[in-house]
Amino acid sequence: MEALRKLRGTNNEGVLALVLLALIVGMSIANPTFFTLNTGFSILRSAIVPVIFALGVLIVVITGGIDVSFAAVAIFAGYATVTFCLTMGFDPGLFGIFAIAIGIGSLLGLINGLVIARFSLPTLIVTLGTQGIFFGAMYTYVGATYYAELPGSMAALATTNLLDVTTSSGRAYLHILVVPVLLLCVLVALALKRTMFGRSLYAMGGDIEAARRAGFQVKRTQVWVYVLVGALASIAGVVHIVLSRSANPRDLVGGELDIIAAVVLGGASIFGGRGSVIGTVLGVILVQVIKNSLLLVGVPSAWLRTAVGLLLVIGVGVQAIAARRKSRQMRVIDDVDLAHPHEQKVGS
Amino acid sequence: MSPDTRTRPEASSGTSGLRNANDQLGKWTRRFVRRPGSNNSAGRMVVALLLAFALFAFLNPRVFLSPINLQNIAVAAPEIGIIAIAMMIVMLTGGIDLSLVAIANFSAITISTLYNAIAATDPALAESLSLVIVLAGVVVGVLGGAINGFLVSVVGITPILATLATMQIYNGLAIVWTGGSTLYGAPAVLGSIGQAAVANVPLLFIIFIVIAILVAVLVNRTALGRMIQLEGANSVAAQYSAIPRRRVLLKTYMVAGLLAGLAGVLFVARNPTASADYGSSYVLLVIVIAVLGGTNPTGGFASVFGVVLATLTLQVVSSGFTAIRLSSYEYAIAQGVILIAVMIFDSVSSSRTKKPKKSGPPRHSEPEPSAVALSDPDLKRN
Repeated sequence: MEALRKLRGTNNEGVLALVLLALIVGMSIANPTFFTLNTGFSILRSAIVPVIFALGVLIVVITGGIDVSFAAVAIFAGYATVTFCLTMGFDPGLFGIFAIAIGIGSLLGLINGLVIARFSLPTLIVTLGTQGIFFGAMYTYVGATYYAELPGSMAALATTNLLDVTTSSGRAYLHILVVPVLLLCVLVALALKRTMFGRSLYAMGGDIEAARRAGFQVKRTQVWVYVLVGALASIAGVVHIVLSRSANPRDLVGGELDIIAAVVLGGASIFGGRGSVIGTVLGVILVQVIKNSLLLVGVPSAWLRTAVGLLLVIGVGVQAIAARRKSRQMRVIDDVDLAHPHEQKVGS
Repeated sequence: MSPDTRTRPEASSGTSGLRNANDQLGKWTRRFVRRPGSNNSAGRMVVALLLAFALFAFLNPRVFLSPINLQNIAVAAPEIGIIAIAMMIVMLTGGIDLSLVAIANFSAITISTLYNAIAATDPALAESLSLVIVLAGVVVGVLGGAINGFLVSVVGITPILATLATMQIYNGLAIVWTGGSTLYGAPAVLGSIGQAAVANVPLLFIIFIVIAILVAVLVNRTALGRMIQLEGANSVAAQYSAIPRRRVLLKTYMVAGLLAGLAGVLFVARNPTASADYGSSYVLLVIVIAVLGGTNPTGGFASVFGVVLATLTLQVVSSGFTAIRLSSYEYAIAQGVILIAVMIFDSVSSSRTKKPKKSGPPRHSEPEPSAVALSDPDLKRN
């Protein structure tokens, strides 16, 4: 029983993994082409960018906030970096490119953080506003042209594969960028679990006033959270440009809600205080698998949005109903506890 | 309590009349200054509207003040304004509805499809059934709102997530239905309503004002409106006041759906086409308008008049930007800046009247009026 509970995980990660497993098994029975290395690798590849985004969103959601500007930050940082390199005509190397992008992303995140923390404003409204500002600023001041040619180092990275397996159904490639993403996941997970910073995020999400009275630097942490999200988003932006082998300013923005949906499906509470990296990664992969398998089963791609929406309703609805049942049970137990000593008193 | 507060009553009984008057005056000013929403924000929006209008009229009078431009403002404002009012009602309960634009599109698509289906066999019949077709569109809107309301009130999903999901669902269904293309065709009556004008004021604009007045009456003069406000101001207090929380929330989202459905009718009236991705920029815009119009995003306070004025202001800014040749991206920047500036302004001015230092240690002060505790952002956040 205890082992079962442990397997289930604090945020129902076990349940999510089970759903994912059932889906994969079901799909493989329904359509054998699903269960191939090709599909697996392509799902992993398509999950790279969403996972990086989701890590950022997870951090914000744990603190009880929400950020809808991350896609705008990502494309701003990625696109501005590429534009800068191409117009100046030099290639600072991968390290340089990521450094520039992270710098831009952190700066944009800092704007979010400062506005939110300094004036204690609702995070959704502020990031909605900055989303418009960042996106508009990119088009107005950076440019709107589509670049099909990337700086040399990025183009080289785009075609680098970690694994190159020849299977019966053709060659399957596992992209090299899976490794840094895994590394990022481990880093964020460690930061959340083992550092003071990470614990303060959970504390703030649980009760911001309690966290403040417990001595956490609430405002400062809040600013750092948004800087971190900006940095993560900018990495995702560069990675997206690398993977799509072109810099298109129209990309990414508009897909924010899919990421938030995946994070919430992964067990993070939108009220803050709950959420884990494992759950988030599982949530993202679940969404990607569903996207992929719908096409394989023969459902037209037009149904994709509806499917993700339904998935969100079911996932969150089950959580909401379970939470309510739990709170009802707790009330019952409280009553018993209250009644018990009372009886004893009467008896003695 | 300091000693001087205790001794004051006996010490100065002679001037008690004067002091009472002074207290009364103080109380009155305080109430006026702290009065959240309505008068304050509406007054501010009047100033903003006039300023924006004067600015663009000064910068490019030839284009901006041309009758065509002014008419365009009056024709474009209603559909956005009605969705913004719907957003305002939902925000009044402390929620948010991201699916409104998707519902409006769904309603528009319903109208267009029904009309085309009937008109294919008998065009005359389709025209005579116009009213039924339009009603069907509105009913679809109410249904969409009811689903939102069910998810929020009965299932208990947070409004932002529930409507995020239904937005995807409605939008996805609309894409499936239309195959991603734009539908053409709508009852001719709607088209003529869209073109008509009374004394140079477009009929659409008059419809908008009438709807706004009806909603204002609903919010301020009916029991349901009161309950919606209470629910948003303090959900726990509302529960202890025997307000049927679920039913109120359900009705709120249904009214919002109804309004979105009406906005869908206006979409078709303005332009006899319907598509799944029309007005995708409205989702952000209506939140900007609602907040700008003095709606407290955490619930409890809002003003329909303020939202109407905010709609007009943003529409003036939008067409003014076009008149002085700024791009729609610069307009996006302006929207964001306006939204954040207003929020900052509100936060600074409300914290000035409430407590001098936000992050300071809790003061032990005399009990403050309950209205302050209700609108305290620290208590209501998250």
